[in-house]
Amino acid sequence: MAGTASIPLARTANDASAAKLQPTTIAGTADRHSALPQTQNTDRLGQFGAISQVLASLIWIGQAALLSYSVGVIAAGGAVQPIIWCAVGVLVLGILRSILDASGARMTFRCARSVLTSSRQLALAALAGTSPLDTSRASSGVAASTLAEQSEALVPYLSRFRSVRLRVTIVPLVILCVVFVWSWVAALVLFIAAPLIPVFMALIGWRAKAASEAHLVELGSMNAFLLDRLRGLATIRTLGAVDLTAKRLRQDAESLRKRTMAVLRIAFLSSAVLELFAALGVAMVAVYVGFHLLGQLPFGAWGQKLSLSEGLFILLLAPAFFEPLRELSTVWHDRASGEAAVAALDNLSKKGKSLPGADTSDDKSVRAAVSVRIKGLSFRHAGQEATVLDGFDLDVAPGEHVAVVAPSGAGKSTLIALIAGLALPDAGEICIDGERLTTSSASRLRRHMGWIGQHPHILAGTMQSNVRLGRPNIAQLEITEALRLAGLADAAAKRDSAPIGENGLGLSGGEASRLALARIAARNNTGLILADEPTAHLDSQTASNITDSLLALADGRTLIVATHDPALAARMDRIVRLTGAA
Amino acid sequence: MNSLHTILKLFLSTNQRMMWGGVALAIATALAGAALLGLSGWFITATAIAGASTATALAFDVFAPSAGIRFLALARTFSRYGERITTHDATLRILAELRERLFRGWAVAGGAADLAKRPARLLFRLTLDIDALDSVYLRVLVPIFAALAMAMATGIAFGLVTPLFGLAVTTFLIVAGLAIPLFAARAALKPSRRRAHGLEILRSRVIELVSGKTEWIMAGQLGDQQRRILSAESYLSQADDALNRIETRANMGFGIASAALLSGTLVAVALLAQSGFIGAPVAALCLLLAFAAIEPFSALSRGAIELGKTLLAARRIAPRLEANNVEPVQVTASHAQPVRLENVSVRHPGAAAPALHSVSMQIAPGERVAFIGPSGAGKSTFLGLLAGENVAQSGIVISPSATLLTQRTELFLDTLRDNLLLADPDATDADLLEALAAAGLHDDVKALPEGLATQLGEGGHGLSGGQARRLALARVFLRGTPLWLLDEPTEALDSATARDVLRRLLSQAGNRAIVIATHIRREAEIADRLVVLEQGAIAADLRRGAPGFDEALNRLRAD
Repeated sequence: MAGTASIPLARTANDASAAKLQPTTIAGTADRHSALPQTQNTDRLGQFGAISQVLASLIWIGQAALLSYSVGVIAAGGAVQPIIWCAVGVLVLGILRSILDASGARMTFRCARSVLTSSRQLALAALAGTSPLDTSRASSGVAASTLAEQSEALVPYLSRFRSVRLRVTIVPLVILCVVFVWSWVAALVLFIAAPLIPVFMALIGWRAKAASEAHLVELGSMNAFLLDRLRGLATIRTLGAVDLTAKRLRQDAESLRKRTMAVLRIAFLSSAVLELFAALGVAMVAVYVGFHLLGQLPFGAWGQKLSLSEGLFILLLAPAFFEPLRELSTVWHDRASGEAAVAALDNLSKKGKSLPGADTSDDKSVRAAVSVRIKGLSFRHAGQEATVLDGFDLDVAPGEHVAVVAPSGAGKSTLIALIAGLALPDAGEICIDGERLTTSSASRLRRHMGWIGQHPHILAGTMQSNVRLGRPNIAQLEITEALRLAGLADAAAKRDSAPIGENGLGLSGGEASRLALARIAARNNTGLILADEPTAHLDSQTASNITDSLLALADGRTLIVATHDPALAARMDRIVRLTGAA
Repeated sequence: MNSLHTILKLFLSTNQRMMWGGVALAIATALAGAALLGLSGWFITATAIAGASTATALAFDVFAPSAGIRFLALARTFSRYGERITTHDATLRILAELRERLFRGWAVAGGAADLAKRPARLLFRLTLDIDALDSVYLRVLVPIFAALAMAMATGIAFGLVTPLFGLAVTTFLIVAGLAIPLFAARAALKPSRRRAHGLEILRSRVIELVSGKTEWIMAGQLGDQQRRILSAESYLSQADDALNRIETRANMGFGIASAALLSGTLVAVALLAQSGFIGAPVAALCLLLAFAAIEPFSALSRGAIELGKTLLAARRIAPRLEANNVEPVQVTASHAQPVRLENVSVRHPGAAAPALHSVSMQIAPGERVAFIGPSGAGKSTFLGLLAGENVAQSGIVISPSATLLTQRTELFLDTLRDNLLLADPDATDADLLEALAAAGLHDDVKALPEGLATQLGEGGHGLSGGQARRLALARVFLRGTPLWLLDEPTEALDSATARDVLRRLLSQAGNRAIVIATHIRREAEIADRLVVLEQGAIAADLRRGAPGFDEALNRLRAD
């Protein structure tokens, strides 16, 4: 839709961050998303789309010709018949133009959306491929907001920005040429008005950028503030600080508003400058053509005098000349947020300590108790000086129950994780049942291990689905039996199909530990049970009950427990003390 | 619709003048843009006709119309700038007000429990809802007024030519201009709900993948969980595609309506000119006005696509805005007063069994009582009752004003100082340091390069568990209430630190009453009275020295 009417409100208070994205130079529009996963097919789809939108914009030239010709006929007092045909032409071209534009928009969208899908796929694969021991890995919150919300910015960036960029390079040039054919002065006016626009935008953009960077951080933190305070509502109430906090919230929001408006003022100023030039360009063309037709500016039309139709034609083309430039300014913030999304996804895909072993599905082959043999094991967390384990040796016979006891920070949990193959040691080796744990064997060996951690992760879902943990080849009966073995039969029956909340809300600490036991009990192919402080944070009665259940489950299996609970350690066959390498 | 009404009322009550100012400027922008085009068309046509002969050319007044064109070009730019500034400022003001009102809406008795029951997904949804509301004004109200004003103005301009013409154009604009967004809004309802749902699923599955990673790996399910996330992504992709299709179709509809209007106007002006009603300049004016008239309507399509989301957000947020902000009157006695409960029962909403069942007891001023019992026996509920967080369904509760130390340490994304000032806004730095010293945190804070001005992360991130607990305790010390309620005050602290904290606690308590909920021996030991809760009822009430007291103590976890 050409015309000087109005740019659709593209900016909201919400993406006030738009302001940060003011252009530095127009040359900066060069492709910077080469790192994006994009197949040739989708890329071609996007190009087709952009081209069909360019064609749609150019159709206006035909419509403008028909309209101005008709006015010429009216002025000359001609017959109505040809004008009717022109009107039909305007309508047909208009429909064609809308269809081309729409199908182009669809194509660029589908292309951009498929890039988003593959970007998410890649980031997810990288996310899944890092070891849980990698301390530098993204937190669940960061991963979720990057993958879910932030990455969405790719779509407008790739669909709208790219297609507008193509239009900017073609449409104004074509229109300039057409206008030039009739009047070099009108073309000159447009030519002069256009390049000034990016210059002004760049000037203003620099200022806006500096102003916005400082404030952007706080924009996001507005919601974080509210959520943070809501999470501690009981404390705020008990401290009698409701009013204080509400006022503070308001104050912060107000000061944020002021800062946002300061940035927006500059951003809108850049749009205003652009629009002013566009409007003045159109006005100057109109005034020139008017004076020319009056005979007061007799030059500029290649020695001839423009006819009414020709003059009107030039006038109708003038707004269309500026339209793509103005569109570019409205999609400029798509580019910056798109690039931020690309960077965030890249960051997520950064390789840290990788998880040994590709994931293979569960198998049901029964495995008897296994031996564990550890020789010269050393490990150091990425980016840390001190080694957690240094030349550690341990032999565990099949069916033996061993407690690893150590002060906190001495590497108990790391040891358990290394035996589970969650990361590879820096030196030394671990053999499970005589087979060395390597990248290629880790996944297979893990199938025969059971795991219980200090805070078992509870999924939002039913008790049963929490025991199943997505494993498809466990029968319902086996789950019921596992719940019984873990001492959860009553609790499960009471809850029936009622869901357990996120983070295990609605489960006591003891129940959560029992659930982890049930997860192990649901498979009878476990030969080795690894437990990482299973009774920490439990009251003594519950801890002793959990110990009973754990020992029952570990009967006939090898069990290695990291703990600082003396009661639990005392019930093992053997206690190994880690002194801590540091 | 009622909820939307509440939101609109909030919108209109906050800053009426600014809101309408924004609308007026939007109208001015739209009209100036159309007038600029119309006048330019008229000018060119009129000059061409006048220029045909030298006499008429000299008589033609060029200055008024060319000045008009320049004026309109400037006016349009300035009103556009003003419109953007005003509407965005107004929206930000509303959002600021909204956040405050929402917070107050939640900060009622039971609000914390309501929130705790919400998974993070729903809490996150709250912020999306707030953000979704900004489109009510920016993308719905302002464009509707601008579009309607445009339809009226075009109608009047055309009506000056012939009234029937004007009426037809206005009718066409309003019918087509509103029907397209309405259809789009209707069609977008389902996919936009799906989109929101898909995004939430994607989010929560990613969170589950990352936070339960070890479990997934050990269950051999990492790959399957990845596939589940990707299936959420493909669901989301379908919804996105549907929404894009609707938006594209709406835009196409506007394009076709615009072409129809343009070609219809062309036929009409040709006929009118032939019958001598108008000349060519007016014909050109009408054509260009028709060209510009539909533009403000097309700005509505974005708001229409988002309408479903906005309505949903309004429905979810409005109840909290209407929430009664008046706190229940709490008995706040400056002098010590006993706690008295008579036949009190508390049942949490949705729970099958009551959390507390017919509890009667008294706690004298200065008494130290520990509540023990298995988890889920009602210890925390009891503290919540005295703190005014939980409301009794039956029975009588009389309690002096109390300060609760929650089981989970609740610190805030703020400086150390501001975290403490919550408890006593008038406290000086000296008071704060004294409280910190009492909690055994003075040296730690002194060692920080920025001292009290140290910024804490979300939930107090940046402090160790022990430091965080001490800070929370220091906050309790700043409160002069005659009753302190402590929910597992030294949980997750190592033994030495815990004993130190408890010692300091006792020395600070003076003649206050203290109620502790615990399952650890060291915490129960400081009490002179043990109350054993079982399934919401008092199973035993033992004073120090009474038979059973030591046995009960010995049953607790040693450390």
